[in-house]
Amino acid sequence: MAAYKRQFYPGTTIPAKNRKKVMDPKVKLKKLRDVSMDDVVRIMGHRNPGEDYKSIHPPIQEGKEPDCPIRKLVEPIEGAKKGDRIRYIQFTDSVYFAPISPYQRAWMYLSRYRGIDTGTLSGRQIIEIRERDLEKLAKEMVDNETFDPALTGIRGATVHGHACRLDENGLMFDAWQRYVWDKNKKEVVYVKDQVAVPLDRKISVGKPASMADLKKRTTIFRADGVDMREDKEVTAYGLRIHKLRTLGGYQPFNVKDV
Amino acid sequence: MAGKQKEKLFMDAVKKKFKEDPTDMETKYYCYGGWKQSKSKVEFQKSAQAIAKKRGFPMMNEDIGVPLGQRAWMPYQLSHTDIYVEADDLHCVNNAAIQQAWDDIRRTVLVGLDSPHSTIEKRLGKEVTPETINSYLEAVNHTMPGGAIVQEHMAEVNPALVWDSYVKVFSGDDELIDEIDKRFIIDINKLFPKAQAEQLKKAIGKTVMQAVRVPTIVGRLMDGATVSRHAAMQISMAFISSYKLAAGEAAIADFAYSAKHQSINMGSMMPARRARGPNEPGGIPFGFFADMLQSDRVYPDDPARAVLETVGLGAAIFDQVYLGGYMSGGVGFTQYASATYTDNILEDYVYHSVDVIKDKYGGFCKLDASKYDELIKLGDDINAYALEMYERYPAIMETHFGGSQRATVAAATTGIAGSMATGVADCGLNMWYLSMLQHKERTGRLGFYGYDLQDQCGSANSFSYRSDEGLPAELRGPNYPNYAMNVGHLSGYSGIAKAAHVARGDAFTANPYIRVAFADPSLVFDFANITKEIGRGGLREFVPAGERTAVIKG
Repeated sequence: MAAYKRQFYPGTTIPAKNRKKVMDPKVKLKKLRDVSMDDVVRIMGHRNPGEDYKSIHPPIQEGKEPDCPIRKLVEPIEGAKKGDRIRYIQFTDSVYFAPISPYQRAWMYLSRYRGIDTGTLSGRQIIEIRERDLEKLAKEMVDNETFDPALTGIRGATVHGHACRLDENGLMFDAWQRYVWDKNKKEVVYVKDQVAVPLDRKISVGKPASMADLKKRTTIFRADGVDMREDKEVTAYGLRIHKLRTLGGYQPFNVKDV
Repeated sequence: MAGKQKEKLFMDAVKKKFKEDPTDMETKYYCYGGWKQSKSKVEFQKSAQAIAKKRGFPMMNEDIGVPLGQRAWMPYQLSHTDIYVEADDLHCVNNAAIQQAWDDIRRTVLVGLDSPHSTIEKRLGKEVTPETINSYLEAVNHTMPGGAIVQEHMAEVNPALVWDSYVKVFSGDDELIDEIDKRFIIDINKLFPKAQAEQLKKAIGKTVMQAVRVPTIVGRLMDGATVSRHAAMQISMAFISSYKLAAGEAAIADFAYSAKHQSINMGSMMPARRARGPNEPGGIPFGFFADMLQSDRVYPDDPARAVLETVGLGAAIFDQVYLGGYMSGGVGFTQYASATYTDNILEDYVYHSVDVIKDKYGGFCKLDASKYDELIKLGDDINAYALEMYERYPAIMETHFGGSQRATVAAATTGIAGSMATGVADCGLNMWYLSMLQHKERTGRLGFYGYDLQDQCGSANSFSYRSDEGLPAELRGPNYPNYAMNVGHLSGYSGIAKAAHVARGDAFTANPYIRVAFADPSLVFDFANITKEIGRGGLREFVPAGERTAVIKG
């Protein structure tokens, strides 16, 4: 029997292909900007750049780990080895063709990273992980094509805005105005950290993409972009899941041609 | 497909909310003066400052926390009315009408007269006649509010506190009802359209049922579980007096027993971990709840309205009062829940669904429920319309700025369509879950975490009737295992149960007695005009019962 090949996601349309792309760990996501690691750390606001990582337990090698076969099988991530505390980054993704949306974030994280805990809501997606691993992951996420300065927000609390109309500069609403439009540079700059504590200095996250570009990059199906029903395979896949779950729970003997 | 045809029903509301065209994707923020643009916030701030000054330490302060009012402050239109209020006015603690709706449900218990009459006649050898029944009804309308009737030198309740308490009767036996004092009758023939009245009378038969309304203040001071006890005590006293019985004779225990245990509570008891007795909102089956709603009695030609009103009251009672208050506590879920009964958005989707069903099948209940692929196709069409509207009209997307609001509204629409097309509520329920799976797939987002719980596994249990795994939709309720903790769902489920039966032309969904009991014009809250009543509450025009002012000087 041939080895199973992960398909990641059905469909042939742009959002479907983009979903496959973000989920496939073999695909290197495009780096579109380079926000310094120190600035990413500042925006997250968990520690100051240069400050030691706070730990919640001694390094694993120093401790007496119980004799556990699972522990032998699973290589701890770096932060776990060192005993780092668990911190988070949380992104809000606009409905207006943000490059990625919450469920695709969850699927992407789970497909690409180890040692994470994600939570998915309608507007926001949190990822929690040991702090030094978080910082690497966060920088990747801020720098790569899943982030757009105008339509992706880094927000710890007061996260709503994903479904609000855009402001006159095309920015997603943020009740805390953690980021603002720099009209001279035509860039988005963060002036507050993730939980709206003012930053010592402004941090630019770059220029927003054009709507035309975003429509090519998005994972979101929309009636004014690519409607899900235009993608026959995605539509059939969704209906099939529902039908199989229904029959599985009610008339399993009628499940045929799976 | 969608998009075309008539003016969207939500247009008036969104034009009043926003100055931009409803299809515009851009607006301005951070320039509206914060919370000061809201009349209610200004009032709250002034009031809180006065309280803080009086008590000598801080109280609420609109300047604490996130800056409110960064967006244009949206008014909310109560659906199918011309009433606009602020979100604060819909908070269940601020809205006397929502409270009274819940009070009226909680303080109701239905107690049959057949068993006590049988005891009186067969055990005691006394005659029961229309005259004795009238005499009893006069007595019980004295005792139920808190009047003493058997013992001398008794403390009684001030009638001005309990003016809302009474007992009325109804029956399917027209001949008997003709002989009872009209003041004590809930008249099925007068209150219901003929076809509905006939169905109800047939279902009720010769049973004589009492609709007992315990005082609102009693339900508030104690709880829903006390309602049947209060009723039983006062009913027993009225029997003793009106039939001249001995207070200690064993037959009295039969009256108390029948009043407590052969009665119909509005909600069943909940498990200890949820710590609620009978007649609390978590125990109300959706079918019972649907029967409390009276729109299809007063507006029988508008089944969609009946469904929408059911969803609306479901949101107020199940989401705002029960899950937002009883179970969660804190500031609650007002805007989340009120999305279903404000701004005519769900209205637009449901009336659109009615049009589609009529166009496609020639009327309600004409889609064979066993043709599952066709049902799925209908669900796919209806759900696509709902989601497309959010995408075509950024103004309604922003109105429902939480994904849970949109998930509820789209799924309720799809479920209601499934119910109305087939006349089977379980089909509607199954379409709810279809909507959820498709919504998540289409937009890459759904509601809050809880949507991953019940909405991902709901497809599999929506048709199951096996014990511990399922129930017919009408008999499920907030306490059904998967439904116990998810805001934004119970309202839709109530509407789905109602939709199947109004589409069939049924006079009731699950319980004919409850249906008749809530037709009673003496209730404080009008169960035929939910959004209007909630709107009156928001405008501070609704006069509730259970107030204590009668015993407070000044």
